[in-house]
Amino acid sequence: MHWEENGMTPEARPWTAFYGPTVRKDIETASYRTLADLIRSVSSTFGTAPAFTTCLPNGMNGTLSFQQVDEMSDAFAVYLREVAGLGQGDRVALQMPNCLSFPIAAFGILKAGCILVNVNPLYTADEMAKQFSDAEPHALVIVDMFADKIPAATQGHPIPNIIVTRVAEFLPVLPRGIVGLVQKHWDKSVKPIEVAHIRFPDAVTAGRDHMKRERIEADVYTQSVDAHDVACLQYTGGTTGVAKGAMLTHANLIMNMEQTMEMLEGVEKGKEVALTALPLYHIFAFTVNMLAFYWLGARNILIPNPRPLSNLKRAFENYKITWMSGVNTLFNGLTNEVWFTDSPPKFLKFSSAGGMALQAAVAQKWEGVTGKPVLQGYGLTETSPVLTFNPLGKTRDGSIGIPVPGTMVVCLDEAGMPVAQGQTGEIAAKGPQIMAGYWNKPDESGHALRDGWFLTGDIGVMDPDGYFRIVDRKKDMVVVSGFNVYPNEVEDCLALHPGILEAAVIGVPDDGTGEAVKAFVVKRDSGLSEADIRAHCKKHLTAYKVPKRVEFRDELPKSNVGKILRKDLRAEELARIAAE
Amino acid sequence: MVGAFEQALLALMIFVIMLGMGASLTPRDFYLALRRPYGLAIGVISQYGFMPLIGFLLATFLVVPETIALGILIMACMPGGTTSNIFTYFSKGNLALSVLMTVTSTVTGVAMIPVVLVLYASALNLEIPRENIIVTLVLLLVPVAIGMLLRKLSANVGAVTEFFGSALALFFILFLMVSWIPRNWQFLLETTSATYIASIGLGLFGITIGYLFARALRLHPRNARTVALETGIQNGPLAIAIIVFTFQGAEAQAIMAVPVLYSLFIVIVSTCVTLVFRRANTAAEQKIPDSLL
Repeated sequence: MHWEENGMTPEARPWTAFYGPTVRKDIETASYRTLADLIRSVSSTFGTAPAFTTCLPNGMNGTLSFQQVDEMSDAFAVYLREVAGLGQGDRVALQMPNCLSFPIAAFGILKAGCILVNVNPLYTADEMAKQFSDAEPHALVIVDMFADKIPAATQGHPIPNIIVTRVAEFLPVLPRGIVGLVQKHWDKSVKPIEVAHIRFPDAVTAGRDHMKRERIEADVYTQSVDAHDVACLQYTGGTTGVAKGAMLTHANLIMNMEQTMEMLEGVEKGKEVALTALPLYHIFAFTVNMLAFYWLGARNILIPNPRPLSNLKRAFENYKITWMSGVNTLFNGLTNEVWFTDSPPKFLKFSSAGGMALQAAVAQKWEGVTGKPVLQGYGLTETSPVLTFNPLGKTRDGSIGIPVPGTMVVCLDEAGMPVAQGQTGEIAAKGPQIMAGYWNKPDESGHALRDGWFLTGDIGVMDPDGYFRIVDRKKDMVVVSGFNVYPNEVEDCLALHPGILEAAVIGVPDDGTGEAVKAFVVKRDSGLSEADIRAHCKKHLTAYKVPKRVEFRDELPKSNVGKILRKDLRAEELARIAAE
Repeated sequence: MVGAFEQALLALMIFVIMLGMGASLTPRDFYLALRRPYGLAIGVISQYGFMPLIGFLLATFLVVPETIALGILIMACMPGGTTSNIFTYFSKGNLALSVLMTVTSTVTGVAMIPVVLVLYASALNLEIPRENIIVTLVLLLVPVAIGMLLRKLSANVGAVTEFFGSALALFFILFLMVSWIPRNWQFLLETTSATYIASIGLGLFGITIGYLFARALRLHPRNARTVALETGIQNGPLAIAIIVFTFQGAEAQAIMAVPVLYSLFIVIVSTCVTLVFRRANTAAEQKIPDSLL
C-alpha cells in the first residue's frame, strides 16, 4: 500500500486535537520489555495493597495483595518450568471464570516465558478440542466445574499437565469450605474429575518448595524473551469465521495498555477500585482490567458469574467501586435492576464499554442513573484490543471515539485506497498494538495484515474532526452480547440434525443482547419443533451461539448458483421489524 | 415439656437466626424501604392486616380452647419468616422483595405486633402480657443489629453468619420434631381436628389471600408469588420464643401447639405451593425464547 503518499501521513491525525494536555500523541517505546517485568515492577511498588478480590454473590470474598500475586505467580512459573518441565514458548491453556487463581496462573505463565492461551470456560468439549488441537498446549489450568469435559476435549491431543482450581480458591477457609460443599452437594456444579491432575495450590506450593531448595530466581525464564515474542494466543473467529489464534506479543499488550491509560485522564494510581464483571479470558477485560488496572495499582473486584445481575449486588454494596468496564448488555441490564437504580454506586468516576456497539439509549440511561458517563471504545482481538476510545468529557453518542495515541486509523475502499472524507470504508489500523499474525495460519495473516495495516472487516466512517463511527459489519458475523457468533458454525451444527433439510443463520437486532442468532429452517421431518432444534444446538454449541429465534420456511432465498442469500433474509427481517 | 436446657438452646437458635437476618442487611436497605412506601405498605398490610384477621377468624369460628386460640393469634401476628426467602428462591420469585418484606415486617413488628395482638385478643377476651412481648421483640432486635455490625466489619463473617442463620431456620423444624412432638404425643392425639385445621389453614389462607391481594394490585406474577409466600410464611421460631419467654408451664405448652404444628405444616404447604408456582412459571416462560446470556 502506497497511499500514505496520498496525504495520509501520520501527521494527518485530526483527532489529536481532542487529546488532553497531558496525553502523548505517540508512545515511542513501551515502559517494560516483557509483561513479567511489568508485573514485578508494579508488585514491588504497591506491595501489600489489595490487588484482586473475588466477590461471590452472597458477599463471601477473598483478597490477594500485589506482593502475594507476585510471589505466587513466581512459584507457579517455577512449577511450570521445573516440575512440569515446560520450555520457553510452550503454550499453556487457561480456562476459568474470574477468580483469584486467574491472575496468579496468567502471570505465572507469562513469567515462565510460556504462551498463555485463554479459553472460554463455557466452551463445549467440541469447541475446546478444536482450540486445543490448534494451540497444542502443554498444560491446562482449568476450573473444577468444567474439568469433566477434559477427556472428550483432549481425545487425540492429550495435554500432559492438568492443573485444577476452583472458584473459591484462596478464600478464607470457612467461606471456601461452604462454597465447596454447596457446589458439590447442592447445585452439583462440580463433578468428579476423571483425569490425572494436580490442584492449583499444590502446584504453587511445589513450585515454591523447588524454588527454595534449588535457589532458583523466577526472573531467569524471561531474560531471553524479546518484547516482540508472543505472550498470548487469543482465539477469535476473526473476520472470516474460522477460529484462529491471534498472536499478541508482550509489546502489543504493554503498549495497548499504555495507550488506553493515556486516554483515561482522571484515574489515580493506587486509588481505584475496578469492578471486573466481564470475563478475564476476553481480550477487553484481559488488557484493560487485568493488566491496565494492575499497573495502576487498582483493586480489582472479580465477579465469577455476573448472571443473574443480582450477583453483583453485594460487590456494589461492599466495595467503593470507582470504575467499571462492561458491554452494552451489562449496562442495559443494570439500569433495569431496581436495587441498582435505587442506590447507584456513589464513588463511580466513569465506566467504559467495549465488545459490542453501545446503544445511545443505554448510554443515556446509564448516565442518568449513575451521573457518570460511559465511554465507548472499539477494537478487536487482533488489536490487543483497543484502537479507539471516547475521551472523557468529549464523548460523542454513537461514536467509537478517536484513535488512541500512536494509532493510525483509516477507512479504505474496495481497492484498498483511503476513501474521501465522510465516505464509508473498511476500517484499517496501524499501531504498536496490532498482532504479529495468526498462529500457524500464514495465509490468513497475509489477508488480514498488509504492510503493518490490519484490516478490521468493519465498515466505518470518519467525522471531519477525527471521530469514528461504525456503520456496518463487512461480514455476516453476529455479535451476541460481545461474543462473536459465526453463522457458518451454527449452520454446520443445524445441518447435523436429521430433521433439517437446510438452514441459514443471520443476526437480528435484539434489545437484550444487541444482536441475536436467528435460524431459518426448512424441515425434512414435519414433526420437527423449535424446541428440538434448540436442544440439538445446545448439545454442540455454547449457549450464546444457540439460535434464540427459529423460523420455519418452505424454502430459502438463493443466488443463481445455489448459494443461500443471508443478506436477503436480513433485509426481509429488517423490513418486517420496520413494519412492526 | 420444655426444660431449661431446651429453653437455652431455643434462645440460642433464635439468636443465630436473627443474627443471620441482620447479616443480610445494610442501613441502606432501611433507607430504600422508606423510600418505597408502596412496597412497604403492601408488606405491612399483608402481614399485620390480613394475617391477624385470618387468625382471628379461625380462632372465632373453630371450636378451640382459649390456649389454642391464643396460639393461633400469636402465630398469626408474627412477622415474615426467613424460610420465606428460601421458598421464594425456589419458586422463582423476587428474592430482593422477599428479603425486604421480611425485614420490614420484623422491624415494624416491634410496634405492630403488640397493637394487633392486643386488639384481637381483647375481642376474644384473652389475656395478653403485652409488656413481656414488647421486651422480647426489642431484645430480638439486638442480634439483628449485631448481625448488621458483623457484616459491616467483615463481609465474609457476615456471609457465613447469614448462611448459618438460614440453615438453622430449617434445622429448627427438625429440633421441634425431636424435642416437642414426642413429649406432646398424647396431646397431639387428643386435640381436636380444629387445631390442625387452624395450623394448616393459617399458612394456606395467608398464601392465597396474599396472592389475590398482589394480583389485585396488578403486581407482576413474579412479585405476586413473592408476596403470597411472604404473607403465608410466618416466623415460627419467633412465636415459640415469645411463648417460652412469656408464659409458663402447661399453659405455655398448650399455647405453643399451633405455632409448632404451623411450623411443621408450613414446610409441606410451602413446598406444594412452590411446585405449583414453578409450573406456572415454566408455562409462562415457554412462550418466550430461552434468554441467552
